[in-house]
Amino acid sequence: MSEYSVDTKKTDLTRNDSKPTGEASLRVEGVSKSFRHVDALTDVSLELNRGEVVGLVGENGAGKSTLLNILTGVLQSDAGKIYRDGTAVEFNGPQEAASYGVSLVHQEQDVITYFRGYENLFLGRERESIGILKKGEMSKRAQAFVDDLGIHIDVDKFVKNYSFNERQMLEIAKAFHVSSKAENPIILLDEPTAGLEEDGRELLFNLVNDLREEATFVFVSHELDEVLEITDRIYVLKDGEMVDEYVTTDATTDKLQRSMVGRETSTEYYRVPEQRHESTLGDSVLEVNDIQAEEELGPISFSVQRGEIFGIVGVEGSGKERLGRVLAGATPATDGTLTVNGTNVKPKSPTEMVDTGVGYIPKDRKSEGLLLYQSVLKNTSLAMVRTMHGRLPFLDTDAESSVTEEMIEDLNIKTPGPNALVHGLSGGNQQKVVIARWLAHETPILVMDNVTRGIDVGAKEEVYRLCRELTDNGISIVLIGDELPEVIGLSNRIAVMEDGSFAGEPIDASPDAKPTEEKLIELMV
Amino acid sequence: MSTNSTTENVQNWWQEQREQRTRQDWIIDLGPFVMLFGLVALFTALSENFLTYGNLINNVAVNSSLLLLVALAGTFPILQQSIDLSVAALVNLMGVLTVILVAQFGFLAIPLVLAGGMLAGFANGYVFAKFKVPSFLVTLGTMSVMTGIALIMTGGSSINFRNDAIRSIATGELIPGLPNLVFWSVVIYLGTVFIAFRTKFGRYCYALGENERVVELSGAKVDRYKIYPFVLSGLLCAIGGFLLAARLSSASPDAGTDLLLPSIAAIVMGGTALTGGVGGPHRTILGVLVIAVLQNGMNLTAVDPFVQEIILGVVVVVAVALSIDRRKIDVVK
Repeated sequence: MSEYSVDTKKTDLTRNDSKPTGEASLRVEGVSKSFRHVDALTDVSLELNRGEVVGLVGENGAGKSTLLNILTGVLQSDAGKIYRDGTAVEFNGPQEAASYGVSLVHQEQDVITYFRGYENLFLGRERESIGILKKGEMSKRAQAFVDDLGIHIDVDKFVKNYSFNERQMLEIAKAFHVSSKAENPIILLDEPTAGLEEDGRELLFNLVNDLREEATFVFVSHELDEVLEITDRIYVLKDGEMVDEYVTTDATTDKLQRSMVGRETSTEYYRVPEQRHESTLGDSVLEVNDIQAEEELGPISFSVQRGEIFGIVGVEGSGKERLGRVLAGATPATDGTLTVNGTNVKPKSPTEMVDTGVGYIPKDRKSEGLLLYQSVLKNTSLAMVRTMHGRLPFLDTDAESSVTEEMIEDLNIKTPGPNALVHGLSGGNQQKVVIARWLAHETPILVMDNVTRGIDVGAKEEVYRLCRELTDNGISIVLIGDELPEVIGLSNRIAVMEDGSFAGEPIDASPDAKPTEEKLIELMV
Repeated sequence: MSTNSTTENVQNWWQEQREQRTRQDWIIDLGPFVMLFGLVALFTALSENFLTYGNLINNVAVNSSLLLLVALAGTFPILQQSIDLSVAALVNLMGVLTVILVAQFGFLAIPLVLAGGMLAGFANGYVFAKFKVPSFLVTLGTMSVMTGIALIMTGGSSINFRNDAIRSIATGELIPGLPNLVFWSVVIYLGTVFIAFRTKFGRYCYALGENERVVELSGAKVDRYKIYPFVLSGLLCAIGGFLLAARLSSASPDAGTDLLLPSIAAIVMGGTALTGGVGGPHRTILGVLVIAVLQNGMNLTAVDPFVQEIILGVVVVVAVALSIDRRKIDVVK
């Protein structure tokens, strides 16, 4: 953080204080939101004042996206109120939020690349007369609009010809344009610097600084340095609750991290004493030899022993999810091999990996893990079906039902019966069905990507216990995760990924030598 | 004691069903039955000839057996969320092929025709699965190709053969009182139901219709199982084409063309959603019977043939609108 930026902030603050606004530009009071069994936000309150840049930080799953979605009317809160300039408002959709001047700049660039700049700017609010678009007028107005903002882009160019930076600028212009009817718009920036080069970042920060007087910004980012540089105040979300609020001049990276992480690592929660000791682990069952996928991943080498949990962490875009997909055969490896139980394979398709004994539990169980509108039985037997009766085409329905009954019993899957649709189960039980599929197929190595994503605390504990049981039975787990405490608590060793490869050797995480979250975060960024 | 627990079991089952199922589920499951019995009751009241063995077997069953074969053929691709539009054209082509081959090879024509149908189906499936062309477009194209080939082979007119043994396969009565055409279609119906429920292929059809990604990650060879439904479809169409030609002792390049739309209507009315994953061949027969009874009943009650077309169309749209499974549909195009 440079001295210069602190100074500008101070002057800005004083200038704003002199304005007799009295009321916060946007005030959120006691907002709560839960999805099925999971509380995403609990009693969250915050205030955004005129001319402020406010940071919002928190770990993955802390509730940042849910909060942004509620502020922009995409989601409706279960409880709580939102006040705009002192008046209670309700946002029933993005359009309505925009009419009050609240708009979001998406993390993924949300522009239509085959449209021109001005067409994107006016998207959904086109100027027309008797059904014919007034292209000339729109183009002229759009250029004037971006010029006013101090954004230097040519709105007549096709967006596909824009640079990445220019697109981001267009995104911001769009957000301003959407909320331009309201005085003092509120612009929510969701990870706006992700993917931006250094000069783009600078451009963005200058823009935000220049526009301070005309708008209130909310800056959501994982990059704590940036948050410290650009914001006036910082809110910290953790597990759906607003745990801390800092004036930026008082905050440091360390302080923020401690607030974000907060909780003590509970050894009981993750059943650390049950973790298999290094000396009791079996032979190496999975060896990864210089695996590579295109330019983005690798080369990566590591080995996993029988009964071991091998954790992999990293920030978003570090390639950990991709590594999981390569191990599953879902993303073909371009170079390198895997040795599974002594068999050498080059992962090209899931079929090969399943055959050699690697089962994948994807991050998004609804779109990749489950046949939602089919029965627990059909989901459980999906992998074992393939090898029934050898090469004969027939199903062994007796085996299917007995194995499914067994799994429901063993994994304690709460379902009305084996023929109930998976759709109706809770998230935790759905996830157990995905795990059951691989156990039914007697798969020795499981690759789990965020295995407890979106399931409630009770179900998480059950999954943790299950992981311990599995490793006791000689199953090895590659645990890819965003929740650091979880990965630390469960794993025997942890590898940190950065820019597609491992940052150093895997870290020892045996019960008496668990690394701290701070240490991992340090390696991640 | 035992009666008590049985009643309890039934009560529990009923309770469970009421809790788990939506009104949509009930309409999908029971709709075709209600419709079929409604039509039967209606036409029984309107015409004394309707509910007679002669009419039901010799008219309703015989006339619908070919539709049943084609609808069963179309069911499997739809189950896996693709579609085979070439079924009717393939029936025509295989009919023409039957006439030509029977004249030359006699009984040996049968395996040749069946192989030909499977080959054509394989071609559809291969282009669809390997080159990732939407099945809708692939089969629209092959429909045209097959029609063209049939036209070239016949010169555009109808051709015929004389072979009483072959003819009797379709027109004879292996079981006295039951026309062979009906017998074969029932046998094939039972076969397809077995395939749907007791084979890996059947299981994967349902799974692919629900979510291809999940099936792929489970280790199944997805491409292969995306081709099989089309091969089966080709086989069933070949059987249909053969029986059609054998029954008439002749074939023309457009004999079965009118089957395409009723067959898709029957599949969907039966409960197999175009979005895949639900329904199955066991239900397709319901849709076929609804259409067959409706047509037969309208004939008996002397409804103007032109008006019949309109009524049939309206019934199909209404039935599909009621039964379509909207849970999985976000945008309809």
